[in-house]
Formats: sequence, structure tokens, C-alpha cells
Amino acid sequence: MKNKYFVGFMSLVAAFTLLFAVDAMAAPKKIVIGHPACLSGKYAKAGEQALGGIKGIVDWVNKEYGGVMVGGKKVPLEYVYYDSESKKEAVTSLIARLITADKVNAVMAPYSSGLTLRGAPVAESRKMLYMDHGGANNKIFRQGFKYIVQSIGPASRYHEGTLDMIHKLHPKAKRVALAYEDSEFAKMVMEGAESHAKKLGFEVVFKRTYPKGVTDLTPLLSALKASKPDFVIGGGHFEDGQLFNRQMADLDIDVDALSLIAAATLPAFYEALTSMAEGVMGPSHWEYGVKYSEAGAKEAGLRWIGPSQDEFVELFKKALGKNVIPDYHAAEAGAAVLSYVLAVEKANSVDTTKVRKALGDLKFMSFYGGWDVDATGLQVGHSMVDVQWQMGKRIIIWPPSAQTGRLAFPMPTFAEKAKGRMAVPR
Amino acid sequence: MIFEQLAGNLIQGLVLGAIYGMATMGLSLIFGVLKVVNVGHGAFIMVGAFVTLWLFDALGIIPIFAIPAALIIGLALGFICYYTVMRRLIKAPELASLLATFALGVLLEEIIKLIFGSEFRGYNWAVGKINLGITVLPFTKLYACLGSIAIAVLLYLWFNKTRAGTAMRSVVEDSEGARVCGVNVDGVYALSFALGIGLTVTSGVLLTMFIPVGINPYMGGPYTLKAFVIAVLGGLASPYGAFFGGLVFGLIENGSYTLFALLPNVEPFALTRFLSFVMLLLILLMRPTGLLRAK
Repeated sequence: MKNKYFVGFMSLVAAFTLLFAVDAMAAPKKIVIGHPACLSGKYAKAGEQALGGIKGIVDWVNKEYGGVMVGGKKVPLEYVYYDSESKKEAVTSLIARLITADKVNAVMAPYSSGLTLRGAPVAESRKMLYMDHGGANNKIFRQGFKYIVQSIGPASRYHEGTLDMIHKLHPKAKRVALAYEDSEFAKMVMEGAESHAKKLGFEVVFKRTYPKGVTDLTPLLSALKASKPDFVIGGGHFEDGQLFNRQMADLDIDVDALSLIAAATLPAFYEALTSMAEGVMGPSHWEYGVKYSEAGAKEAGLRWIGPSQDEFVELFKKALGKNVIPDYHAAEAGAAVLSYVLAVEKANSVDTTKVRKALGDLKFMSFYGGWDVDATGLQVGHSMVDVQWQMGKRIIIWPPSAQTGRLAFPMPTFAEKAKGRMAVPR
Repeated sequence: MIFEQLAGNLIQGLVLGAIYGMATMGLSLIFGVLKVVNVGHGAFIMVGAFVTLWLFDALGIIPIFAIPAALIIGLALGFICYYTVMRRLIKAPELASLLATFALGVLLEEIIKLIFGSEFRGYNWAVGKINLGITVLPFTKLYACLGSIAIAVLLYLWFNKTRAGTAMRSVVEDSEGARVCGVNVDGVYALSFALGIGLTVTSGVLLTMFIPVGINPYMGGPYTLKAFVIAVLGGLASPYGAFFGGLVFGLIENGSYTLFALLPNVEPFALTRFLSFVMLLLILLMRPTGLLRAK
């Protein structure tokens, strides 16, 4: 008799367990990604690009890819966003709102290292997946966060390509000056650049920072000029990059090469500086013209996902309703969405812990290039490219496998540029 | 080499200081006459920068000719702000006028953002440079410096040689006494506010001639901060003192960089900022009426 009851009880337990298991495996009706986007304020430009990139890829996932395969069903992807005005306070409250009120399955981080870092503890405390597409500072990944994953490359590697290129193509250029904004991100870039420069045998003849929001760089640039560098690398964000280039021109600081982070890759940089920007370079995570393709992925033994480069451009234009070519801010945000889609499919679940584990095991290629993260979530599989303004156009000059043109070295002097001379490779 | 750099930076500092001085005169004038601290000062500088950018980009008008345009726009803006907002707050507690000018600044920023967007913009007006051996000065910077000096001299003459200027000075000295003597004090308030705003908007033109990039709706913030330091340095209620304060500030800001750079393991920029505020503190403690006001 006792045995009968026991078997009955155990059957009941098994039935419930099965019921719950089926329920857990069942596909959700939709998957929602939330985003405290930077649509106004100081990061509005990059924020708009990210928005276009995410919207474009979400559109691709739903219409071309057919949705996200989870629990045996294709599930639509939904994108919810609010404007954080590029403000730290707004970022934290909006992430909380996205998680608690909008019940999102993953949060896209805002643009910039500072804002990404500010939002990370809020996402972490709720065990929410936090997709970093605009925060490059390595320090974000040294805080012990478990749910953050990066698609943008780490800051410490920004200038590796630039230095490798000059080292290989123009080995006589040995004296390098480093001048960066006094921000966590830029200082990390500078640390990486200094270490790589020394490894390659360059002599660092000048190394200084300038404060955020600086309005005049004349004293710093005068000192830099006195150090007689062969080339200069530096910058921080868009506004100071513009100022840096302009005041180098004002002081006639002629060097063989100038590479500025964040600023030099944006069209607005050339629009403001016109001929003075000729020959100026900048590292970029992605640039229209890169040659990542399905065939290339196959060759590298990686899975391919997402639209082709040209399809992405069209999706981006449609998403923003503007006839503009996307820049790397759009591409890295779009790639973050693709990585999330693949991870959900790999985990066959939207459970954040399982998806995070799947992201850690993921390796793939898309229009953005390679993707792979280390145990901390830091991006290690993506390579950067270097671009240079030549005849008013951004040309990919490094690495050789991605280049659309050759390096113009030395760049014309500022006096030559004022007379209309363009940067042309010799 | 260091002396060469120092001399070069001092020349650059003097040029920039003249523009800083000019950019602070409006703030001091408004405080001197109306006893109103214009917290939205930087936003009016930003308006001048956008006037220059728009005239140059859309109409091809060079920045020098943007100066009278900016002055007229600034005067009009000043009168509008005075008669719609500030007039009601002249006798109100100081906090009310502080908040009102802050609100005006935010309003201007948002209007400009609505019209021009929030991107950082710039223009390129290249008219050559002069090589002084120790430093290079673009003519645009030189024009901006000379423009600042010319405007300061004209303001001085206007204050001292015209009836309106005399009336304004009388209101600064004693508004009730001036009223008894038949001075239209309300008219003087309006004119002073308009002139203060006009000068501030004009300084936006001159600033972009020195730094023609980074023009955006929120660019005014750092200039507001600098203007307060300069105004205290020169004497908060004295437009000439403000001009003098600007020169001193420009020299110290640029000159001290070279000297701080000699110290090992320090970032000179951080120390120049530190020095500016130490200066502010010392002036407030030892000579609160500013360098040029012995009273």
C-alpha cells in the first residue's frame, strides 16, 4: 500500500517537473532589448549612429533572419529605447526602468566608457545582460562584473595598428608624441599606445594629457612642438580632436603623421576643418569598405551571421531615414545585437546566466568583422582598422588585408594644405 | 628653449586674454548697473559663435563682418530679455534673477539646438599667419585681439564722453540719486542689460576667430566659469577691470603652463586650473573689489 502511494507521489512530482521543464523550454512571445540611448547631449552624434545600427539589425533579424530561434520557435526581437541625454544620472535610472518596467531581456549599454561604467552596476545588481558597444576602457572589465560583454575593441589596442603600420612602412620615423584627453578611456588608449610604441622601439619624446572640456590647447601644443616628434598620436573625443588638429595648424606644427582617436573618423571632423584635416588618421572599429564576407568567415573557420556590408548600410539608412553612411558606432552596436541573437540561440534560452555563458563560448564573423570575448567579457576577436583623410575621403590604410588605399606619408604641411594640397600616397 | 616657449605662450595668452576680457565686460556691466549676476552668460557667447558660423557657412560672410551683426542681434536679445523677464526681477531677491538668467541660458541652448542640432561644428577662415619666431599667430587671432581692444576703447569713450554713458555711470554710483537728477533709471537698466548682452554675443564672434571649432549649443559652460573668475579678478562691477582681468588671466593661464611643465611628474594643465582658482580665492580674501577697484 505504502509503495502504491509512494509511486503515485513520485509520478506527481515527475509530472510537475516535466511541466515546469516544458514551460522553461517554451519559447517566449518576444525578446526585448532595452537601451538608454544617447540621442541628445554631448554623445548625440555617436548615439544616433548606435540607434541606427541597432534598429537596422533588429529589422534584419525579424525580416530576413525570421526571428530568434529559441525553444524550437522563431521569436521576434523588439527594441525599446529612451534618450539618456548623455547623462550619467539618466543612464542609471533608465536601465532600472528598462529592467523593472519594460521587462527587457538584455540591455544595450549607452555610448562612452564613462556612461557604460556608470550603468554597469545597475545591470549587474539585477543579473541583467549588459551589451557594451561603446565603452572601450579596459577598466570596465576589471571590476568583476559578470554580465557585461563587449563588442567594441578594448582601448589599450586602439593605436596598435597605427604604430605597427608606421613601424613597418616608415621605420625611420622613430620619435612619437602622445597627447591625450585626461579621461579614463583616453588614458587607457595612451597607456596601450606607449607600451606598444616602446615594444616596437619608438622613442616617446612627449607624453601629456589635457583636461576634458579644454578650450585652448596652445600651451600644450607649443611644448609638443618643441619636442620635435616625427608623428603625433592622441585625442580623446570628437570636440577636443577638432581643437587639436585646428590648433596644430595654427601653430604650424608639421609632423609626418597625426592620428586622433574618436574624432578623425567622423565626417563632421572634415566638414569643420576641411583641407586642414587632409592626411589626418584615426583608428576605427569599422569603416565602410572593409572586406569582411561570408566567404572570408568560411576561410577563417568562423560562423557568419548578419547582413552584408552593403545590406547593413541600406538597413541603417532606412532605420534613421537619412541618406548617410554608418560609421563604426553603428556597426559595433549592430554587431552587439547579432552576438546576442546567436547566444540566445546557442543557449536555447533567454535566461541571462545561460546567455552570458553562451556569449563567452561564441566566436563568429559578421559585416563588423571577428567577434570573440575573454572570460571577463572583453572583446579579443575584433581587429581595428586605420583610416586616413585623402582628397576629402576616408581611406582604409591598415591592415593590408582591409585597405582600400595606401598611406599618404608624410602628410602635407599645414602651409601646403592651406594652399589646397591634398594628401596623396607617393 | 624654455624662455622661448614661455615668451611664445605669453604672447598667445595676451591675445586670448584680450578676448577673455572682452567676453567678461558684458557680465561686469550688467552686474555693475543692475546688480544681476548673469549665470546664463556662456549661452550668450554661444549665440555669437552660431551667428558667425551661420553667416560664414550660409552666406559666406567673413567673421569680421559678423561683429556688427552679432552686436545688433545681442542688443535686440538684451532688450527682449530685459522687458520680458529681467525688468520684473530688478527689485526681487537675488536668487530670482539668478534663476531667471540660468533659465534664459538653458532656453537659448535648447533653441539653438533645435535650429542647428547638437553637433560640434566649426568653420575654416584661413587668411594667413604671422611668424614671430617664438610662436606663430594666425591673422584671425590677431584680428580678434585687435577687435577686442577696439571694442573696449569704444566702450570706454562711450561711458566717458556720451550722455547715455554718463547716465549709466550715475546709476552705478547711486541709482536713487540719479533718479532725483532726472535720469531715466529704467531706460538705463534696459540699455545696460542690452549692451551687456550685445557685448557678450559679440565676444562669441571674437572667440570663434581664436578657436573656430567646437561650436555647439553647450559650449558656453567653460566660458561662464572663466568669466566669473576674470570678473572677480578685475572687479565684478567694472567693465574695464574685467578687460584687465582677462589679460591677466590669459597670461597666467598660458604662462604658468610652461613653468608647471618644468616640475617632474605633474600634468601642467591641471595645475593651471588650480592656480586660477587659488587666485580667485586670494583676490576674494585680500581684495574683494578686484585688482582695479580700490574702493
